[in-house]
Amino acid sequence: MKWSPRVENRLVDVAKFVVVLTACAYLLLRGSAGIGYNWQWQTIPSYLLTVDGGHLRPGPLLRGLLVTLEITFFSLLLSALIGLGVALLRLSGSFVGRLLARVYLETIRNTPLLVQIFFLYFVMAPILDIGRFATGVLALSLFEGAYASEIIRAGIVAVPIGQWEAAHALGLRSFDTYRAVIIPQAMRRILPPLTSQAVSLLKDSALVSTIAVYELTMEGRTIIAETFLTFEVWFTVAAIYLVVALFLSFVADQAGKYLRIS
Amino acid sequence: MNDQAKQESNSPIIDVRRIEKIFPGPVVALRDFFITVERGEVLVIIGPSGSGKSTFLRCLNGLEEIDAGTIRIDGISLDENEANRLAIRRKIGMVFQSFNLFPHLTVLGNVDLAQRLVQKKSRRQAAEFSRRLLEQVGLADMEDRYPHQLSGGQQQRVAIARALAMMPKIMLFDEATSALDPEMIGEVLDVMRQLARDGMTMVVVTHEMGFAREVSDRILFMDKGRLVEEGESQTFFRNPRHARTREFLQQIL
Repeated sequence: MKWSPRVENRLVDVAKFVVVLTACAYLLLRGSAGIGYNWQWQTIPSYLLTVDGGHLRPGPLLRGLLVTLEITFFSLLLSALIGLGVALLRLSGSFVGRLLARVYLETIRNTPLLVQIFFLYFVMAPILDIGRFATGVLALSLFEGAYASEIIRAGIVAVPIGQWEAAHALGLRSFDTYRAVIIPQAMRRILPPLTSQAVSLLKDSALVSTIAVYELTMEGRTIIAETFLTFEVWFTVAAIYLVVALFLSFVADQAGKYLRIS
Repeated sequence: MNDQAKQESNSPIIDVRRIEKIFPGPVVALRDFFITVERGEVLVIIGPSGSGKSTFLRCLNGLEEIDAGTIRIDGISLDENEANRLAIRRKIGMVFQSFNLFPHLTVLGNVDLAQRLVQKKSRRQAAEFSRRLLEQVGLADMEDRYPHQLSGGQQQRVAIARALAMMPKIMLFDEATSALDPEMIGEVLDVMRQLARDGMTMVVVTHEMGFAREVSDRILFMDKGRLVEEGESQTFFRNPRHARTREFLQQIL
């Protein structure tokens, strides 16, 4: 049998990949055998799905995933709103507005997210009287909002100046100019990178486990504390994040392609 | 007619006094510039590039801020007051060299937009008037197309319809045919010619000397931000008074 050089190359690549993967797995297994780790994969499915009185119920890991998705969803909405507001402030004619936006951006981008979460949880949450879930969403939104605002600002600035002039010449107010002329055109440039932000949010949401929000990572830690299934649970948790993040990336790519075509 | 109304209708619709415009640099774009335009008059502005023609047009509806002097449009002063500025912009339609149609809206959407947002017309009322305007500029069957599906000449005619949708008292044309392929210039000039015939007050910056001679009531020659010479269009081309004007006309005719 004779293969074309392209197929041959592809096969060599696949072979290399398999070799590397096998080597990694071998090292891991040997290492865990070395410390006497007792693998118990058979118990993991029950943490994903449990059978309770003949009904299938989500286990702690899937419930945690659901909370993670909720946090990601609300944070994405809120961060888009914050991002839009801050972007408009930065582009506004008001000096105070621009200054405020600048202070917010620099503070958020130059302090660790973990510190921001603790600050909100231990300082702001008691003052504002908000719960852990809301605190987590707020912290993530403020953090991602800073990055979203840069994306949105870039999208707005990229709209040609002639579009503003045409709208102004027709007598449109600033608000209508933004709403009906500028934002719809900026959206095309804003949406794909903003969807990618959803992936960052998903991953960063693991940090709110530190303030005892029972999302995926926190559920994983709880199971490990009870069962000592450290390796299996972290593998599973990582795999769940990987699958969801890959799915979101795929959606972002498709959205980007669609917007480029239309 | 009461006294005030009488005075309004007799006074020039555009009254520009000693305006100055300086761009950062500093580059003086307009210096000690004054002009009045009567109702129904067609004024054509010519001059070499960089002479301040476009800047002057853009000052008239506040797209550029003036650094000195006064501008009054139809009795309203163009100043810091935002309401005055909006009121003036609603009296003035503007057509740009690069069309500046809204690419995310259909032809009908482009013409409808300001009617709905500024004049608060219903969707049906706006569409009805838009269709009349599109017919007027010869694009009755194009309302569902998007700007990128049209030729340059068609786009510019949509832009004219869009400006007319606000029922302006004045139309400004900023080199409206300069970005067009030669074979499309005629269709846009035809629409402009018809507008002039219908009595629209027009201020036109153009390099189309044939159009200027045929349609305008008055021609104004600018150089280096100043008004060099103005005259009735019939005599202007035959007897330019200034050496600079003669030089310019020789170069382009």
